[in-house]
Amino acid sequence: MDSSPITEPVLLILLSLADQPRHGYAILQDTARMSGGSVRLSTGTLYGALHRLLEEGWIERFREDDSSRGKQAYRLTSLGRRNLRQEVTRLTQLTRLASLRIARKET
Amino acid sequence: MRPLYNFLLGLYPAAYRGEYGEEMLAVLYEVQTEIQKRGPLGQIVSSGWEVAGLLFGALREHLRVITGSAPRAIFFPRRFTMRSEFRFPKATVTLMTVILLAIFLAIDKAKAIQASIPYANPQVGPIHPTQQLMLLPTLLLVLAGACVTAALGWGILFALHRSGVHRFTDVDASSRPRSSRSLLI
Repeated sequence: MDSSPITEPVLLILLSLADQPRHGYAILQDTARMSGGSVRLSTGTLYGALHRLLEEGWIERFREDDSSRGKQAYRLTSLGRRNLRQEVTRLTQLTRLASLRIARKET
Repeated sequence: MRPLYNFLLGLYPAAYRGEYGEEMLAVLYEVQTEIQKRGPLGQIVSSGWEVAGLLFGALREHLRVITGSAPRAIFFPRRFTMRSEFRFPKATVTLMTVILLAIFLAIDKAKAIQASIPYANPQVGPIHPTQQLMLLPTLLLVLAGACVTAALGWGILFALHRSGVHRFTDVDASSRPRSSRSLLI
């Protein structure tokens, strides 16, 4: 596993798909909501990321009963979920360390 | 905006467009409907953001087709390792970009010099009819030469792409899964 951290947009896309499958526009809305509006993905950026994630096997297409081609949904694969969990663990450790250091400096 | 989005999607590689084009267009229409509810400034900013995203995306995907890797690997190398992969396409693209930038800089500098000394060049008289007759074939010859050179360059890149050399970058000698590749986008 490459130790390079994944970027914030990719992390938000993975988090968006963590609880349920979503289609493109729903991912855009969810990432904007999760980041409090600070990350607004363009459609070109979103599909670039989805393309890479599909190639890497982190996500897969999900066929909904009422889905047309224009409303293709995506969901996390087990590999994507495992990698997302690792990334979240890494970030948790980092924020815990940051909190400790900041608290030590303040006291 | 919709004709513009259609046009911008047309800039993507055909395979990518075939896979995601219809879906992206549907999302762009939904985004556009949302954008139209905003004020004039918000509409301009959001539409500009979408256009920039599509332009950058088209460029990125073309670079991926040519080089076989993400463009970030070209512009922002994260590490320097000894690699046995074929590197000519990446080097070519980078070199061509540098040359193009140098040409633009040279033109800009020449214009600045010309503006600073406006009377340095003597007045050019009218072109003699025989000179005019020679000028046209020369220009056509130069144009034909440029076309042949461009066709040769394109042919070399196309042959390299068709040869599958760039696919060697995807070959993993170890048993690691494909997920080992970076997802920095």
